[in-house]
Amino acid sequence: MSHESIETLLNANEEWAQSVIKDTSNFFTQTATGQSPKVLWIGCSDSRVPESVITASRPGDIFVHRNIANQFHLNDDSALSVLIYAVKVVGFDSSSNGYTSLTVVLVGHTHCGGAAACLKAAKDAAADTGASQPDIPLTRWLSPLIARVQSLDLSACSESEALDKVVETNIMMQVDNICKSEPITTAWADPNAKKVTVHGWMYDLSRGRIDELVYREAQA
Amino acid sequence: MSHKPIRTLLNANEEWAQSVIKDTPDFFARSATGQKPKILWIGCSDSRVPESVITASKPGDIFVHRNVANQFHLHDDSALSVLTFAIKEIGVEHVVLVGHTNCGGAMACIEAAKDRAANPGLSTPLTRWLSPLTALVQSLDLSACSASEALNKVVEANIIKQVDNICKSEPIITAWADPDAKKVTVHGWMYDLAVGRITKLVVRDAQA
Repeated sequence: MSHESIETLLNANEEWAQSVIKDTSNFFTQTATGQSPKVLWIGCSDSRVPESVITASRPGDIFVHRNIANQFHLNDDSALSVLIYAVKVVGFDSSSNGYTSLTVVLVGHTHCGGAAACLKAAKDAAADTGASQPDIPLTRWLSPLIARVQSLDLSACSESEALDKVVETNIMMQVDNICKSEPITTAWADPNAKKVTVHGWMYDLSRGRIDELVYREAQA
Repeated sequence: MSHKPIRTLLNANEEWAQSVIKDTPDFFARSATGQKPKILWIGCSDSRVPESVITASKPGDIFVHRNVANQFHLHDDSALSVLTFAIKEIGVEHVVLVGHTNCGGAMACIEAAKDRAANPGLSTPLTRWLSPLTALVQSLDLSACSASEALNKVVEANIIKQVDNICKSEPIITAWADPDAKKVTVHGWMYDLAVGRITKLVVRDAQA
């Protein structure tokens, strides 16, 4: 019975593959020759934010990194590897005249469980100073965001306003981190490098809609 | 010019949201109340392997972690956080580790393994990230393989290895040791992107 969902997934994959072939017989063989996605999406692991579904994208469109609370830590090899790979290795091509460029989108979302966990940890810490957080991967992972939450003045906010504020602040913080990273600073300093822009987006999952919060590019 | 892909994505999002509401008016409102996916997908960042498209899944179905070459390192807080959150907060029942053919990360490791003896090279986040897989490549006997056979062998060995790692992680060991914990099964899958099909390679459960 617990395998029901697995079999459903595998059956759905079979049907999907068949429907794609019926529609575009060489889709998969073409795909196998290489990838040149237009966009790198750094988002949350949350099941409600599957980047390709919510942007109606196809295999080959978006290079993706998803983790708890859409973090980009400057000491995280996982996220840095993805960014390096996107900037330096994969053949991104987002314009018709062959000039290669890369669009990085850092996407946070409403009702983020990771952000909610940080709010709770910050409240617990304030109520019980002296107790430290357990040193486990999830706590370490969220500790930069917890620290940022502790620096915010949420006293006048309702619980849902506070969560929205944390999610938004988080997006700005992660975009800042991305812009400070070596692959981006190098690309922006080099006139011959791939053109890279960085966007901070908020996905409101109660409406299914993405809004752009911030946009960064190389200084002229 | 660099905004073109962005405008396309944002327009597509708008159209998609409208079509969902037309079809199921309360879809998003219900989505906002919580998530209860049964499956955690740990896969590659490769643009050709979007888990929800290739399994025709909807928002809410699959909790996802994607990185270069679908790694699960036992010292990686990113992957460990996802697994911990998925098992303890979300309550997933299945963890699927998905590798795929034509994996660029695996190809890079095959090259690095050839060069390694001769030229240790610079340590970058990417080389560090791929160093366990490069070591795995060096442990395989690929001498009788063509380039494409070697790549398939590496991709497959990688899937098995990452499944092993997942099964040795604290969240899984704890879940499997506790008779009152929710049952969690770990699967290793291969996605052949030349045909769009997933095949099962391995399944692991708590020992009875």
